[in-house]
Amino acid sequence: MLMIPIMFLPSALLLRTPTVVRPVFVSAFLQDQRTPGWCGAQNIHLSPSCHSGSKAASLHWTSERVVSVLLLGLLPAAYVNPCSAVDYSLAAALSLHSHWGLGQVVTDYVHGEALQKTAKAGLLALSALTFAGLCYFNYHDVGICKAVAMLWKL
Amino acid sequence: HCFRARVNPQLSIRNAVPLGTTAKEEMERFWNKNTNSNRPVSPHLTIYSWSLPMAMSICHRGTGVALSGGISLFGLSALLLPWNFENYLAFVKSLCLAPGLIYTAKFAFAFPLMYHTWNGIRHLMWDLGKGLKIPQLYQSGVVVLVLTVLSSVGLAAM
Repeated sequence: MLMIPIMFLPSALLLRTPTVVRPVFVSAFLQDQRTPGWCGAQNIHLSPSCHSGSKAASLHWTSERVVSVLLLGLLPAAYVNPCSAVDYSLAAALSLHSHWGLGQVVTDYVHGEALQKTAKAGLLALSALTFAGLCYFNYHDVGICKAVAMLWKL
Repeated sequence: HCFRARVNPQLSIRNAVPLGTTAKEEMERFWNKNTNSNRPVSPHLTIYSWSLPMAMSICHRGTGVALSGGISLFGLSALLLPWNFENYLAFVKSLCLAPGLIYTAKFAFAFPLMYHTWNGIRHLMWDLGKGLKIPQLYQSGVVVLVLTVLSSVGLAAM
């Protein structure tokens, strides 16, 4: 965002007040400033509505934040109202949040088509097993909320 | 043209050509070209001056990975290990560990969780567009660190 001061010089005010400077916001792409009169072609990244995959990335981003907020709310909920519903919600939110988080780590550090595919597949297996394990614990054992309470009473 | 309709009418850039590749394809091309050429990599982490936001960012990732590992370990143990949770707790109780050691262990569990939680809230604030100025980054960073220590101490004492 560029702030370009534009000076208004109404002739009536010239004698009395100093020039009025009013900043005007001018939106510009994050590119180098070009000289006026430049009309070359410039490659830009757009979020094309005509391409099919772009909405998916945006939706994924928003979903990540939604799950984060959900998980944040579940922490005090688990303390004040430990119950089966909170147990299963925690299992789901924890598994999903960590799956997506580790997914970002894989995207950042694992390069190459084949290697990234394998890493993502391994991650999916791990997350699925984790979720299954947490649900099993909730069903057959004391459940996440009770387990933390019991652990803390040690 | 469909892309021109999406562009803000205030931005009147003519002769703008949208790229035909996705970010993923471009990253792929970059890594394919550079890993094959065996070019030396400039020093980066070893020479760049570390800042608080930089350190806190990698700690956020580190605590996240560690916590995920812990959760996965717990989930997999539930599937693979033979006994109930109570049995394992009773076993640990029978070890009669010193209270100081138990407090330290609780602190060690609580600390990464609290750091990731408070810094996570800081991240969500950034996603809302708040607190992105450089001085605010440092201020919010210090607040997160203080809250982390206080809440970890508090939780470990419970």
